[in-house]
Amino acid sequence: MAGGILVYALHDDEGNFNKNSLGAISEAAKLASELGTEASAVVVGDLSDEGAAGLGAYGAKRVFRAKDAPEGLAQPIVDVMAKVISDEGFSYALFGGGLLGFEIGAGLTARLNAGVTMEVTDVKVADGKLVAERPVLQDSAIVDVGYVGEPGIIIGRLNAFDTNEGDGGSAEVVDVDVELSEWSTKARMVTRGEQRGADVNIEDAEILVGGGRGLGEADNFKLAEELADALGGAVAATRAVVDAGWYPYAAQIGQTGKTVAPKLYLAAGISGAIQHKVGMQSSENILAINKDPNAPIFEFSDLGVVGDLHKIVPKLTEAVKAKKGS
Amino acid sequence: MPIAPAEFPPPGDPAADYVTEPTDPEEERIEVGLAIVGGGPAGLACAIKTMQLLKDDPGLAEKLGEVPVAVIEKGKVAGAHLLSGANMRPSAMQELFPDMDPSEWPVYQKVTKDAVYLLTKKAAIPLKPPPPNFRNHGNYVTSIAQLGRFLGERAEGAGAYLLTETAADKLLVEERVVKGVRSGDKGRGRDGEELSNFEPGSDVVAKATVLAEGTQGHLTGAALDFFELQGLQPQRWELGVKEVWEVEKPLDRVIHTMGWPLRKGPKWNEFGGSFIYPMGEDKVCIGFVAGLDYTDATFSVHDTLQLFKTHPFVQKILEGGKRVGWGAKTIPSGGFWALPRTFTVPGMVMCGDGVGMCNVSELKGIHYAMHAGIYAAEAIVDALKHDSVNFDAYNERVRNSAITEDLYKWRNVRQAFSKGFFFGGAVANAALLTRGHLPPGRWHQHLDAEEAMELDGASKHYPKPDNKYTFDKLSSVFASGNATRDDAPNHIKVQRRVPREVAQTWVSMCPAQVYEIPDEQVENGAAEVDLTITPSNCVQCGAITAKGGRLTPPEGGDGPLYQET
Repeated sequence: MAGGILVYALHDDEGNFNKNSLGAISEAAKLASELGTEASAVVVGDLSDEGAAGLGAYGAKRVFRAKDAPEGLAQPIVDVMAKVISDEGFSYALFGGGLLGFEIGAGLTARLNAGVTMEVTDVKVADGKLVAERPVLQDSAIVDVGYVGEPGIIIGRLNAFDTNEGDGGSAEVVDVDVELSEWSTKARMVTRGEQRGADVNIEDAEILVGGGRGLGEADNFKLAEELADALGGAVAATRAVVDAGWYPYAAQIGQTGKTVAPKLYLAAGISGAIQHKVGMQSSENILAINKDPNAPIFEFSDLGVVGDLHKIVPKLTEAVKAKKGS
Repeated sequence: MPIAPAEFPPPGDPAADYVTEPTDPEEERIEVGLAIVGGGPAGLACAIKTMQLLKDDPGLAEKLGEVPVAVIEKGKVAGAHLLSGANMRPSAMQELFPDMDPSEWPVYQKVTKDAVYLLTKKAAIPLKPPPPNFRNHGNYVTSIAQLGRFLGERAEGAGAYLLTETAADKLLVEERVVKGVRSGDKGRGRDGEELSNFEPGSDVVAKATVLAEGTQGHLTGAALDFFELQGLQPQRWELGVKEVWEVEKPLDRVIHTMGWPLRKGPKWNEFGGSFIYPMGEDKVCIGFVAGLDYTDATFSVHDTLQLFKTHPFVQKILEGGKRVGWGAKTIPSGGFWALPRTFTVPGMVMCGDGVGMCNVSELKGIHYAMHAGIYAAEAIVDALKHDSVNFDAYNERVRNSAITEDLYKWRNVRQAFSKGFFFGGAVANAALLTRGHLPPGRWHQHLDAEEAMELDGASKHYPKPDNKYTFDKLSSVFASGNATRDDAPNHIKVQRRVPREVAQTWVSMCPAQVYEIPDEQVENGAAEVDLTITPSNCVQCGAITAKGGRLTPPEGGDGPLYQET
């Protein structure tokens, strides 16, 4: 029988867990039950008993806590996970995505001489083993990746795994003492910051709601966020609104921002200057809402709606929710 | 109420802010022989000529060290920030490359046919024969952006060093002797904070410093103030906006137009005209130039060019074509009276457009700039042979050259056009017929920024962009190759809360949509507005410096990447 699946769970200074980490635990729990084994989590740094035990709600049986390892730096966490995997005999390590997960996963792979798959979008069970699905060739094909040895390292793409809050069971918290490697203490965490929208990788999103100056003010980005949430997508922004400080640069599309090609790009209050167009013109479907019928965006939209986005977007959000709820 | 932008001067004082003693510890300074600021025709001709002269004088070459000549250029490549008409007189190319055949020059063709038209709204009336100042027979149509690349390669081939993507931020002066320049910092954030890729600038100390910055030169302006070198009359400028088009039919002549769409009334003070030049078989360039002493705050040269392109005469040329390039640049038009008192101070010479070596009546400047660069090289090499930093021989050389002679001939013509088109035309003819003896004396001219501005409706006539023949400013900025990072510090110095007339002047004037009045203030009619600025759009044309603000160099590498302008 295979050993369990170990997940790294990232938390912020207030003890809130990262959405992608919770998704990874939920996914691990689901896979573990199919394999007939258990999913567990690793946490580091300052985290309360209740906080750690709370991961049980997502399906973690045990939570290994290394209080002396700093949160947010890859190398100390590699030390912790390597020890837990060796001591407890885990067969897989699963990461939810994001740069830190990539870094830890890569370090762990090297340390344990393991096999690794990156940018995984789904994981399945075959013959009592895990098989990771990974898009290749600019996402035009998907390959199955199995593991010939143990442990297998699986690093998910951002937002690949949905969170699934279960019956509220509580995890057993196990404190572990880990002696950090000499090199793991060379870097220290000075400050940690969270940026709104930064946990979403807009280049990977299949659905994007782009907000422009037509939103009127920074607060109205919540209209775009609510619609993106309802659609299961992410929020993008134009240079003008990023310049105005309404939204973080990480979400900027265009010549001096990111280039995206989602299945659906919904442009809310975006005029469609060429500087923006070059960043999103290869989207499969472009839907534009703008009150100015002469806005250039309509020249390259598949569907254009002339009207007040402040009225249309909330109704669209409601309609999407109603349809999904049914 | 009419208000002049000059009443709202930009913060700071160039002579105090941009002139300094060297600050780096001596062992960290970069030592060069000649520090040439600006990789345009003047600076590169100077670099090439210097290397040619050093080849014959290995002793001096050795004395100048490992880097005998460094050209400091803020553009991504030499030529990236260059824009001109351009019909070039060949004299300087012949002087600099005596053994090179014109077929090797970066030119499109020799001009064989000239045509000048007076435009009305519907018609184009040919002026025959073309006024003499528009005769270009024997000149060559070139792209100065390509010429810059060509000269840059020649300069490097001859052993000069091109420091591209490097801004010259400060002039280094010790005891009133120029010692070099300090390069600008790189990797600062919007509020000046140091980003992870921050690199501080360096002191580049030189035995001779050459300011060849082109129009609205940043250090040239500071030097003119610091050393009190201003001429008898203030400098003034025109703004040119230019596009490059691929066309279906070749154009067989060089075209200039006057008249429409500029308005004739003297109160608007709109002076200028267009040019359309062939660039080989399949391309033309088309541009519009207007003096920055106009008085209507809603006037925009970019939009005037767009309007101009809708004229049936122009449509016939562009029909079926496609715009492939766009850019904008100011042209110094103060002429003879605005030349500085001297072009040299100990340790430094200045040449080219930065000090107004431009003959706007004949639309010529490239060959003056190159000649000046050549003269500068000769004077500097001569002086350095004797360990002297007195380069005054250059001054004499310029004073006795065609540069000064031509500008003198046309010294009072541009001013006359401020009194209306026909009066100006009459004075221009008098100047020509008498070889410059008439009109006599010194005619007054004042700063473009001192012109009182009114909201007077020029913008009502501008076409809505159809994205085929007419374009808005933002898509034009894109066509300039400008992809400046958005979080660069603001390099444009202007007052932010100003009367509507002043704000609208900048909004309309700027061809790159750097300035905007917030939507709610556009509508509410407030007398004073709060300007918003998008400096990353800037193509560094320099118009803002003429009209009440100040352009400083952004981080090296920022701005347009002109290809064939």
